[in-house]
Parts: sequence; C-alpha cells; structure tokens
Amino acid sequence: MKTLHVVLLMLLTLIVPMNIYAGTPTDTIKAHVDEVLNVLRASPDGSKRSDEAKKAEIRVIAGRMFDFTAMSKATLGNNWNKLDKDQRTEFIKLLKAMLENAYVSKILGYTDEKAVFIGERSLSPTRVEVQSTLMARNADIPMHYRVLKTEDTWKVYDVIIEGVSLVKNYRTQFRQILAKQTPSELLDVMRQKVGEI
Amino acid sequence: MEDQVVQNSKLAVSINMGQQNAGLSEDDTTDDDLFLLEDEEEIAPAVKDPLYKWNKAMFAFNDRFYFLLARPITKGYAGFVHEDLRTVINNFFLNISVPIRFVNSLLQFKMKSAGTELLRFGINSTIGVAGLRDVAKTEYGLKSSDEDLGQTLGKYQLGHGAYFILPLLGPSSIRDTVGLVGDLFLYPIGYIRPRFLSLGIYTYEEMNRLSFNPDDYEILKKAAFDPYISVRDAYFQNRKQKVEQ
Repeated sequence: MKTLHVVLLMLLTLIVPMNIYAGTPTDTIKAHVDEVLNVLRASPDGSKRSDEAKKAEIRVIAGRMFDFTAMSKATLGNNWNKLDKDQRTEFIKLLKAMLENAYVSKILGYTDEKAVFIGERSLSPTRVEVQSTLMARNADIPMHYRVLKTEDTWKVYDVIIEGVSLVKNYRTQFRQILAKQTPSELLDVMRQKVGEI
Repeated sequence: MEDQVVQNSKLAVSINMGQQNAGLSEDDTTDDDLFLLEDEEEIAPAVKDPLYKWNKAMFAFNDRFYFLLARPITKGYAGFVHEDLRTVINNFFLNISVPIRFVNSLLQFKMKSAGTELLRFGINSTIGVAGLRDVAKTEYGLKSSDEDLGQTLGKYQLGHGAYFILPLLGPSSIRDTVGLVGDLFLYPIGYIRPRFLSLGIYTYEEMNRLSFNPDDYEILKKAAFDPYISVRDAYFQNRKQKVEQ
C-alpha cells in the first residue's frame, strides 16, 4: 500500500509541474491565453463541443488566471474597509459572476485573433504590467494585464484594454454609488444586476 | 514618479490598516499596496460633467438608437456582406483619412508617424489598389497611428472642457468635438456635395466599422453597474492614453 502511495506521489510530481507556471509574468499570462485559445479552437477530430462546455472550461482557466480578491480590493480602494467580512466575500463572488457573464461570450466570438506579447513593465516589487496586442480583423487592440505576485505564480488583478483600466472603471462606479449608498445597498445593486443576466 | 507613488501608497496603507477593524485577519495583510492605486488616481483632476442633464438625455437617446436601429441594421448588413469585403471597405476609408493622421502627427511633431502615414498612403494607393488592401501593414509592417485633432489639442495642454455626448456619435468632450469638426476639413468625404450624400457615406462608414464588433456596447453595458458612469470613465481613460502616446 505504502509503495503504491510513493509511486503515486512520484507520478504526481512529474505531472504537476507542467501545470504550474512559475516563470516570468509574460510566460504565465501567455500560457493562460494559449489555454483559452485552445478551448476556442475546434477539436482536430471534428467533434464539436457546445458553447456551454467551452464557457465552463474558460471559467476554470479564469479562476486560475485571475486573483478576484485582489481585483475586488482594488476596485473598492479605501471603501473596502467599509465592508464587513461577509460583505467582502459576497462582493468578490458577485464581481466575479459579473465579469464572467459579460465577457465570456465575447471571448467565445474570437476566431482568428492572435495575441502578441510585446513587453512588460515593473510597477512595484510585486506588481508587473504584461503588455500585449490582440490582432483582430480590422484593428490591433492593445491589451495589458496587470499581475500580482502570489506565493507560486502571477495572477491578474486588472486588465487594461485600449488604455481603459477595468479596475479604475469599476472604482469610479463604486465610489459614486458608495457616496450616497451603504455597502449593503451596493450589494443589492450588484445582486440585482447579476441576476438580470 | 513611480517610486513616489509607491511611497505614498505605503503611507495610505498604513493609515488604512490603522482604521481597519481588528476582526479582519488572514489575507488582509499582504498585497495591500493595491489600495495605493487609489492615490495614483486621486492626483488626476475629477471628471467635469456640468452638462450632465443634456448628457444623460443623449445617453438614453443613443442607447435606444443603438438597440432599436444601429445594431439590428448593422447585423443584417454583416449577414449580407462577407467579412472580407467589409475589411476591404474599412481599408478604403482608412486610406482616404490619411490627411487627418498626417497633419495631426505633424502638429504634434511626430515626424516618424507623419512619414509612415505618407508612405502608407503611397503604398496602399498603388500596390494596395486604391487603398482596398492594407499591404503597407501586412507586407511592410507599417502601422497607421491613430491621431486626431482632439489629441493634438490635448498635447498642447488643452483640457476637455466638459464631457459632451453627441447625438448618434456618442461620447465626446467640448475639446474633442472641436477636434472632430476641424478634422472634417481634412477628410475628403466632408467635401462631397450635396451634403446629404456626404453624410450618407459617413454613416455607411460608421456602420461598416460597427459591423466588426456590433455587440461591444452591449457587453460594456452588461459589465457595468452604472453604465452612464462606466462609459464616461472609459471615454476619458481612453482619450488620456491616446494623448499621452
């Protein structure tokens, strides 16, 4: 029995490193983007997966690629302190659901787009901006990922598309809402919006 | 500059930490320099929206126009005209708008961009068959630079004045609207008479452009908790980056 465990462990160590991207920020993001592109590409054997199956796979990748807690903190800024623990947990959940609902279908629409990684810029000892261009049919779209160093990898906390930071955009909205309303009212607004789509 | 921002953020974080209720432990201590991002932004002047009432009404009007007319018509058009042909049409309009980008590059002393635009015009108008193919980009790697008069004015330190939503055309500012009108003098389509023909071609150009991403506005709206503020903020962020480029 024990030997079996040892063998299993050894096998695991062989397999696992292939899935962990402890490389540079660019390598990490590139690997995730390639993963997504693989999901979008039609299977070589011609079998077609449903959009729902693809969406589910993209959600799993997004879960590994993004740090939704850091993203939530960044979108709330100082207002984060106004939320109690349960409210924070729900906020993170709702923001994640919102982003997935809105953007996953857009990603499914990508066909022959290519992502080219052009460089990276250090923002602080633990934060880096990975710069890429999405080459679409009629235009090149600058797409920058801001990543945060976690224990074993880099995780995205902000995406900047054509100069528009997702985090800043949400922060402007949340600040406006929280100027007049309480955190629990903000969560009501979010719940309602997520329920709509 | 970056260093200073980080310094400031550390200060802010320590203040924040002091205010935090003691009940929160665990994960709240590590990546707190994200709070600092806030300060980075606080330096920027607040958005001016004195025309709020007009803008809000125009926003509602454009929203309805998009969902009831612009998008369904564009989608019908896209189902009828193949993407390859729409790309060719897009290239044609990109080629005849060279004067706008050339002159504005010059006004901003971006000599390389100005030269590239001229070269692109020469290549695409000849080898690219009257601009129908963007061979300058595909074969020679010469990319067009997105310049307009609004950006030029911004480069000369002129502020937006106020947020200003235009009917049908969407988000703009006083400065960028002035720029838009000025650029019209550099755009051949603007000289076509009778005027309604000029306007018709311009509308067609916009529809063709929209046909590549007809759902983007809907996605943006879906992702927003307050669409009006989200669009306004996105407009100013996008323009700021273009001016700085």
